[in-house]
Amino acid sequence: MDSGAAMGTVAGRYYDGVTSRVHRVVLRVEGGQACLEGDAERRAPLDDIRVSERTTHAPRRLTFADEAVFEPDDRHALEALLLATGHRDGSVVRMQQSWRAVLVASVVLVAVLVLGYLFALPAGANLVARMLPVAVERQLGQGMLDVLDRRVFAPSKLSASRRDELAQAFARLAPPEDGAPAYHLVFRRSRIGPNAFALPSGDIVMTDEMVNLLEDDKAVLATLAHELGHLHERHLTRRLIQGSVVAAAITVVAGDAGSLLAGLPTLALDMHYSREAEQEADDYAAAMLQQNGIGLAHLERVFATLEDIEKENGVMPAYLSSHPASAERLARLRQRPHPH
Amino acid sequence: MSAVFEPTAPVTRTEERFVFSATGSEYFRIWIVNLLLSIVTLGIYSAWAKVRRNQYFYANTKLAGSTFEYHGNPMAILKGRIAAVVLIGGYNLALHYSVKVGLVMLVVVAAVMPWLILKSLQYSLHNSSYRGIRFGFRGNLKSAYLYYLVLPVASVFTLGLAYPFVHQRLKQFQHTESRYGTTHFSFDAPVGAFYKAYGVFIGLLLGGSFALGIVGAIVGGVSTVMGGGTGKAGVIALIVIVSYGYALCVGTAFMAYLQNLIWNHTQLGAHGFRSTMTWQGLAGLLITNLLGIAFTLGLFIPFAHVRALKYRMQCTAMLVSGSLDDVVANKGGEVDAIGEGMADLAGFDLSL
Repeated sequence: MDSGAAMGTVAGRYYDGVTSRVHRVVLRVEGGQACLEGDAERRAPLDDIRVSERTTHAPRRLTFADEAVFEPDDRHALEALLLATGHRDGSVVRMQQSWRAVLVASVVLVAVLVLGYLFALPAGANLVARMLPVAVERQLGQGMLDVLDRRVFAPSKLSASRRDELAQAFARLAPPEDGAPAYHLVFRRSRIGPNAFALPSGDIVMTDEMVNLLEDDKAVLATLAHELGHLHERHLTRRLIQGSVVAAAITVVAGDAGSLLAGLPTLALDMHYSREAEQEADDYAAAMLQQNGIGLAHLERVFATLEDIEKENGVMPAYLSSHPASAERLARLRQRPHPH
Repeated sequence: MSAVFEPTAPVTRTEERFVFSATGSEYFRIWIVNLLLSIVTLGIYSAWAKVRRNQYFYANTKLAGSTFEYHGNPMAILKGRIAAVVLIGGYNLALHYSVKVGLVMLVVVAAVMPWLILKSLQYSLHNSSYRGIRFGFRGNLKSAYLYYLVLPVASVFTLGLAYPFVHQRLKQFQHTESRYGTTHFSFDAPVGAFYKAYGVFIGLLLGGSFALGIVGAIVGGVSTVMGGGTGKAGVIALIVIVSYGYALCVGTAFMAYLQNLIWNHTQLGAHGFRSTMTWQGLAGLLITNLLGIAFTLGLFIPFAHVRALKYRMQCTAMLVSGSLDDVVANKGGEVDAIGEGMADLAGFDLSL
């Protein structure tokens, strides 16, 4: 750094950090020291002075170690002096002040968000879910079935022998991968139409309406295999993790925009993960059927039946609310390479 | 000579307006860079982002020729945020785990909330300065529990009838315990004015929905007689739009009235404030901000933020009695940022 002899002076206001009184002073830089002269006299090494970050409209401000403050009358004069003393903005400030850098940052931001959403988050959630002991996941779903029993379900009207027959038939099937989790199959009569789902507690709920609608035991087994797939792939825990991260990210992005607008994208973003999980469970069911020598036609029958309901009602039944359209699932199944 | 020290004539009051020079386009750049760094660092940078943002807004707020300064420490804020994540995360996880554990956690969170709010108020005021003098908050823990837990819970048992009183006491607590240097703020808005505000607000809402119900029934009846289901759907849509618009107008009128009431009855030593917010201004701001954010998929957020702050500043002025030169600093210790972290994450706004 030069001796500073050539540097100019800057007039401004000085506050001594003790009272709010305005002191009219002139700032000079001399031998690595800032010198104030006027209503107040002060010398301080440049290294002990904090310079506020550059913005377009706000004046730069010098803050001394004891919180005394110097504010220039003319911001450009201080900028010139700062430049002459070799003061440089931090890299973040330079980025913030350059439209080109901001454009690059925006592109990178969008890329990070999209890649994170499509690949990094599902992979991370999968890893965490698989490391989590099954017992912890089971604890999460405790009490859910009780709530459903009180609100939505009535005891099954299927005969005990019929229920045993289905349960035993499913128990005889070998899962497509090792390490299938323990499950507990329960039958219920539903007030909300045909439905089947798995709970984190390990309960697989099959409704009478679903059994009657399918009219085919092997199709019922295919449905159960789909639900076992959800349990085996730890879908509920994965969705819980993914949902939390998405909600946290949206809170960061939307921050002060309020929860009104933040809720909708969270919901929409979760749908993608939900459909992905359904496809994985479909694949699992197909693999399980093939493993046990059951034709995929039975799984097709499940989709076809559901498609009929979709067409009939025009609205999606509860079972499908976050599922891919049945026609799409059917087409996907037919693309599957058949063994032998 | 003693006459010099006695006021011989009434001190003149000059009105000093708050000038806010932040712009949406500049804040947009700050926001984007902060957002990128926050996400890439998995949220760690968000503490530095908060400091940058506040420094920007404070430095662009000018009163009587001087600007404000924010002194928040990113490391302290980061620690506060981590504590808040653990607390809120624990609560959410507990809810999934079992309803009972969740309820216990809810009680725990409610029990520590007043302490966290107090900490947050202390932190944000302690880290704000003007003319080299810091603000501060004196309130003690006992009062925080009284005003943020005991009174609000008690007002529930009066079916909300005591709520305007609680609101007045809460603002009184916040404002009288705040200080600039060693000079305290004071607050003298009467409880009656709060009752009047709430009464008129609820009266307008009830009266409005009653009137709308009658109009809706008449128009609906007429259109049914005239025939046509499309007419009926149109009437319903119209009623929904009109009631939303009406609720917005009444709601913003209520907010503007309270803001004016609170600041017009706040003093800093001998200096007063004047707040001139209008419901038209506030409603216009809210609607345009909401539409802007929705139609730009969120890119308008930083602009909306600047506009909201700008409007608030425009409507506020300080009535300076004599000069602002004689405030003395109160050199106090540091305040930790745990409450601040919680305030950030839980999103509670303590500003109004």
